[in-house]
Amino acid sequence: MFALFQRYRELILVAVLVLVPLGVFFAHAKRPPERSRLDRAVVWLATPVERAVGWTLSSAVSAWDGYVALRGSHERAREADGRIRDLEVENRRLLAYRSEAERLRALLAFTASPDERRYLGARVIGVRLGTTGLQVLTLDRGEADGIARMMPVVVAEGVVGRIQAVTGSTSDVLVLTDRNSSIAVRIERTRARANVRGLGKPDAAKLDFALRTEDVIEGDALVTSGTDGVFPRGIPVGRVTQVDPRARGLFQDARVVPAVDPTRVEEVLVMTSWERAGGAAPAALAPGGAP
Amino acid sequence: MKPLAHVLLALLLAALQAALLRWVGGGWFSLALPAACLVWLGLHGGNVEGSVAAAGVGYVLDLVTGSHKGLLTALAVLLFLVVRGVSASVDLRSRVAFGVLSGAGALFLSLGAMALQRWAVPPEAAPGAVLLPRMLGEAALTGLLAPALVPVLRRVDGLFEREEPGLLG
Repeated sequence: MFALFQRYRELILVAVLVLVPLGVFFAHAKRPPERSRLDRAVVWLATPVERAVGWTLSSAVSAWDGYVALRGSHERAREADGRIRDLEVENRRLLAYRSEAERLRALLAFTASPDERRYLGARVIGVRLGTTGLQVLTLDRGEADGIARMMPVVVAEGVVGRIQAVTGSTSDVLVLTDRNSSIAVRIERTRARANVRGLGKPDAAKLDFALRTEDVIEGDALVTSGTDGVFPRGIPVGRVTQVDPRARGLFQDARVVPAVDPTRVEEVLVMTSWERAGGAAPAALAPGGAP
Repeated sequence: MKPLAHVLLALLLAALQAALLRWVGGGWFSLALPAACLVWLGLHGGNVEGSVAAAGVGYVLDLVTGSHKGLLTALAVLLFLVVRGVSASVDLRSRVAFGVLSGAGALFLSLGAMALQRWAVPPEAAPGAVLLPRMLGEAALTGLLAPALVPVLRRVDGLFEREEPGLLG
């Protein structure tokens, strides 16, 4: 028996190595696989290797991402910068177009008012601010387009000024904040009359000839009265601020914030004809002229 | 000690392939590098040492694949025997032949495991034929990578070879 075992020991060993595991497998095949302590110990042995390989590979991947894959990124970033700059310029241009379109839409709505007024659109092509306080806007329309002196110049928000000088293709606008400008107005709330005279500052004007007995309060809206023969009635001029009722004298003082900031105007409407109070022709505005 | 060294190598290869598949393939394909170890044992191992080492490698495969205990152990020893039979009839020395045989060995293990499980395991838990393309891919990849393991396997074998004392020794 022992001799037989000795003779076939290799065959027996191999048979055992095949059949025992097969028996174990068939014995446990119907149940879920379980791990013994030995199994867990063997698997634990493999864990550091997996971690080491994982760490090596992740380091290699991060090195690739951090260094090798960044080759050429400088050039790409520069290209992207250039493209961003181009797009910013384009964006500014489009914003300017949009802003212009909004302004023109407002002007169009203004011209659609149901009266006899006729307008000519013009673009501001120059601004002159003299040391003496003269504030003049130059328009790209002139005599050839039907513009004449003393024509009112407005935008949707209100009065800009009046035409002061005209050439064949351009015209100059004396803005309402100029020291030489004086516009006859009414206080919208009380219908009291007064004048708005420029102070030579772009953001301020003065209320003239408002009788001391009149009710003027801060925030009162001022509109053209139409009595100066230059501006038609009802166009916004500004809003009263800083009322100073004098203790004596005929008139009271007040500051006016213009409805239009003439330094920001880009397109204007020149009023070429309108209904005139009593059919009076436009008259030249003299500094300090009474309403 | 030699069987133990092969078992440890198989464990190392299993860990390596697990980490590789995690990072490179993301689970889209699989490998069976310990199958190359079994083929090597079939080609170069002795009957006793080889079969014991094959059983040990099969045990490692059972552990790392999560299959029922004994399944891949038995199949590994069977693969060892098959390779031994093949090498007895065909001279397989080149790396390419080793790669082809390793690929075939990986397929043998996969198909054998599937067949045995379909037979012994409840039908709802048994693997289906949908795994066949994956098995073929695994066999092909294993066959491609196996030649790269030849130096390592030689090195492991070399650790246990004794210099025979010559005439001058």
